[in-house]
Amino acid sequence: MIKEELIQLNEKFENEIKGAQDAKQLNEIKVKIFGKMGALTILSKSMRDVSAEERPTIGALINHVRNNLEEKISQKEDAFKQEELMKKLDNEKVDITEPSKGFEVGALHPISRVIDKLTDICVEMGFSVVEGPEVETDYYNFEAMNIPKNHPSRDMQDTFFITENTLLRSQTSAVQAREMEKRKPPFKIVCPGKTYRNESDSTHSPIFHQLEGLVVDEKISMADLKAMLTTLMKRLYGDDTTIRFRPSFFPFTEPSIEVDVSCPNCHGKGCSTCKGTGMLELLGAGIVNPKVLEMSGIDSKKYSGFAFGFGLDRVAMILNGITNIRNFYKNDVRFLKQMR
Amino acid sequence: MKVTYNWLKELTGVNASPEEIAKKLTSAGMEVEEIVYQNEHLHDVVVGKILKIEKHPQADRLVVCQVDIGKEIVQIITAATNVFEGAIVPVSLPGADLVNGIKIQKAKMRGVESCGMFCSGEELGIDENYFAGAGVNGILILPSDMKIGQPIEDALMLNDVVFDVGITPNRADCMSVIGIAREVCALYGVKLKKLNLSYDIDVYAKDTVRDYINVKVETENCYRYMASAITDVKIEKSPLWMRARLNAIGIKPINTLVDITNYVLVEIGQPLHAFDQKLIGNNQIIVRQAQKGEVIDALNHNTYSLDENVMVIADDKKPMVIAGVIGGIDSCINPDTKTCVLEAAVFDLKSIRVTSRKLGVRTDSSARYEKGVNVANAEIGMARALHLVSLLKCGKVARGIIDIASRKNESRKIVGSIDKINEILGVEIPKQDMVRILNSLGIETALLGNKLNCIVPPFREDIENDNDLAEEIIRLYGYDVYDKINYKLFENSKITEGCHHPRLLLERKFRNALVEHGFYENISYTLVSPDLVQKLNLKDERVNLVKIANPISEDISCLRSSIAHSLLLNLNYNLSVGNKDLKLFECGKIFISQKVENSDLPLEKDMIGMVVLSNNFDFFNLKGIVENLLNKTSVNYRIERSKEPYLHPGISADIMVSDFKIGSFGKIHPVVAQNYDLPENVYYAELDSGYLANLPEKKYNVQNISKFPIVERDLAVVVDEQVKVGDMLDVIKSACGKLYYEASLFDIYRNENLGNNKKSLAFNIKLSDMNKTLTDEEVAQVIKKVLKAFTYKFGAVLR
Repeated sequence: MIKEELIQLNEKFENEIKGAQDAKQLNEIKVKIFGKMGALTILSKSMRDVSAEERPTIGALINHVRNNLEEKISQKEDAFKQEELMKKLDNEKVDITEPSKGFEVGALHPISRVIDKLTDICVEMGFSVVEGPEVETDYYNFEAMNIPKNHPSRDMQDTFFITENTLLRSQTSAVQAREMEKRKPPFKIVCPGKTYRNESDSTHSPIFHQLEGLVVDEKISMADLKAMLTTLMKRLYGDDTTIRFRPSFFPFTEPSIEVDVSCPNCHGKGCSTCKGTGMLELLGAGIVNPKVLEMSGIDSKKYSGFAFGFGLDRVAMILNGITNIRNFYKNDVRFLKQMR
Repeated sequence: MKVTYNWLKELTGVNASPEEIAKKLTSAGMEVEEIVYQNEHLHDVVVGKILKIEKHPQADRLVVCQVDIGKEIVQIITAATNVFEGAIVPVSLPGADLVNGIKIQKAKMRGVESCGMFCSGEELGIDENYFAGAGVNGILILPSDMKIGQPIEDALMLNDVVFDVGITPNRADCMSVIGIAREVCALYGVKLKKLNLSYDIDVYAKDTVRDYINVKVETENCYRYMASAITDVKIEKSPLWMRARLNAIGIKPINTLVDITNYVLVEIGQPLHAFDQKLIGNNQIIVRQAQKGEVIDALNHNTYSLDENVMVIADDKKPMVIAGVIGGIDSCINPDTKTCVLEAAVFDLKSIRVTSRKLGVRTDSSARYEKGVNVANAEIGMARALHLVSLLKCGKVARGIIDIASRKNESRKIVGSIDKINEILGVEIPKQDMVRILNSLGIETALLGNKLNCIVPPFREDIENDNDLAEEIIRLYGYDVYDKINYKLFENSKITEGCHHPRLLLERKFRNALVEHGFYENISYTLVSPDLVQKLNLKDERVNLVKIANPISEDISCLRSSIAHSLLLNLNYNLSVGNKDLKLFECGKIFISQKVENSDLPLEKDMIGMVVLSNNFDFFNLKGIVENLLNKTSVNYRIERSKEPYLHPGISADIMVSDFKIGSFGKIHPVVAQNYDLPENVYYAELDSGYLANLPEKKYNVQNISKFPIVERDLAVVVDEQVKVGDMLDVIKSACGKLYYEASLFDIYRNENLGNNKKSLAFNIKLSDMNKTLTDEEVAQVIKKVLKAFTYKFGAVLR
């Protein structure tokens, strides 16, 4: 008798719990079951009337029903809480397309980004980054580079002079002799920096930037130069970059070459950047002239070296699609902003 | 250097197309920068004969001509007045596209058909110097013996192709047609044609060259001086073939003798000079340095004052020629010249270069001399000139040539090492190819084991060692060998340790931090106008600007002595183009003209400067940024009121390390702001990044932290305006003693109610003990102590 009642009660309240609309209703149901006058409380009291042999079974059944209903209520409560949380989160929703606040960053200059990138690559290859003065002596800028006074090769560069013997360096090559005097081979150096030429027109700025590299060791060859520059250019412009040598002349290298690099814009097919040739003239390089080594106290019988140099303004222009060199030095924020 | 295709063909016998020759020359390092086809605008222009001229029925000023153009007779209408029946004239036919842009079509002129146009010299791109009649105002009347119907480019020898070749400074020998011809021969593996250097000597005359001229060389800047005499000179127009060559490369034909000197200059690279013998005083040529005060009227109609640095060719009284540079007007060849003295000399290249620069005169002659003419060249040049005199029959060559030489230039023997050459090139070039290439360049080479025995001709003064030989070999062997090799990075080299530059590394930290603070990096011209001294109101050593001796213009004539100048200019520029809310910075050098020990060079300092013009930005925002940067270094600094003349005296600070200023920051002085056309709320800071980069790296000394919680108290007091917050924070620290953890100011409040010249300061004080949780009582005691010290030291009153 009591057993059937228990089963009915269990079923009835399971349904009620399931149908509860909110936490309040659920609470009312809870009272109806477990309250002082609750259905289960009353039934539990009627245990007194149950025979001794039936008591353990009924007792277990009551416990079972209690646990079951308590669990159902608890589950329902959790569901209500979850629902409430979801509603709260939904209400807090923002328009994610509104602009960000309070954190406006600036930007590095395109030329210094190129310097950072190139010097990082070179340091990984074992080069040390060095610097030299921008106001340089005639000796280091020219004479130690095998460009004697009144020599025709001086015509290759229009130079700003300060006095008869001091000038604004016309090439970062000026650091070569300074470093060779200081160091013992083997060594590898690169020098980024400002250089100056007495010329100014739409494609020339009197101030521009170069990066000079010098390697001195035993048995350094043009093949080493090829391997090194290929690595450098691949890292700079991408893995499919190729380079090509052409004969040239610099007083401080012999043999001297110009290095063409496959156009990173069209990958050699020909476009407006490379004027349809597929290649860009980018570097000057060569095997260090033994005279230059000797002048700086390096035994040219034992050691040889290669040197390379290139204009960083041009590298930055090609890398970033910049067409006017003058923009680099105007420092217009509208220009710089695009490098964020 | 301009050379023509036909000229090269004559010296080499190479028949390849102009385009192919140009390509090969370029690949061997003789870059052909331009190819000009002389006949580009001469097609469809032929020699014609005017058979008949009739009046135009509808127009008074026009005539109708019947013209024989060889294969047919055409009708042409012209307004020209210098034409006549029987005249031979250039006729441009339909399809012609003349140099002045005129395109010829069949047309009706006042109802009568015209099948072309007669051409003036100008319309063919030539002038009177090139061809008689080309300069007249009207149609070019051609000689009557010209073949009717012949293309005009052939008739007037305007059918050559001109190459403009870039010659590098090491190849003075290629400043000549023969030099470039040698390269062409090497590229095609053929032998240079022998130049005709033979000439007739006037054997019947009893006078020799010494009867006409004596030569003395009194300066060591003249290495060789050759002179010959030519009698019975005929000064007239040169033959068309010679004029054509000179005209093609842009040299104006003048007369036989002058044209011969120019022809030899271009062909052999040997400058020559022709004197009128009777104008040489006392028949005496003296090669000497000029005396100060001597003057000369030059062929370019300028008068030059000379001095000891200038070498001259003089007679017994006066300078006649500025040696190697330009001739004088008083002794030059003229229509009345009967006897000519011809000079072929070699001078010191530096001497010529200095003179040419100093006087501002550059001529075809000086251009060769200052690159270096070799001593052996003079005799080839002289012989070639005398050959041309004989050929043109423009004079008789007197017996004998005077030749005074202080230097010889003979072939040199050098020994090249095949191993070393391959080591330099890093690729293996077959021995036989090395020998073949060097021989083709005129360097007589024999193989002896692993050595190259070379005889270097005088004209290749640039070849001295294995590196030079390696270059000659590889440029002709072809640099494309490197396209195929796959060499590993530093395959045979020792490992070297790569290392960043410490200052660039520190600057990179600064730059990245500033970018995160919203700053844009600038790179400005370090060259500035000297007015920065006045604009920035500078007073110290920074007024000593480093000045350029040869500036482009005043506004970029000095090196900056302050980065502030650059950044304030950039700020102004950005405002002018409508940019707002500006934060800019720059890393770069400043330059101060002062004696640096053991150096001729001025002082260079590496600085980082930053400038801000933005609402809601004040001195303390700037201070925060500066502190943030300094905190990246190990510098131990203090700040003082700034003495920078361009900063606001009350809103600025200098950053000091003992007595040395390493930076400053603050508001720009209102007068300076005005100097740069800027509003007043501009803030500027700079740091000596060179100094900071030299400090040891920042070290961190980490203290143990307490297990017990931090206790916080706020304390607000009223003090006089003059009391410094920094001093009060110091007092809190010492009053709290061991229990001090942190203290900060979190509010400043000013109000009339506080009283005149008063401010209320609110501090947050954090206390902590290593061994226990602090009780309220202990905390109260410490705060009491702080307050007491505040009252005692600053007259503070609790709020």
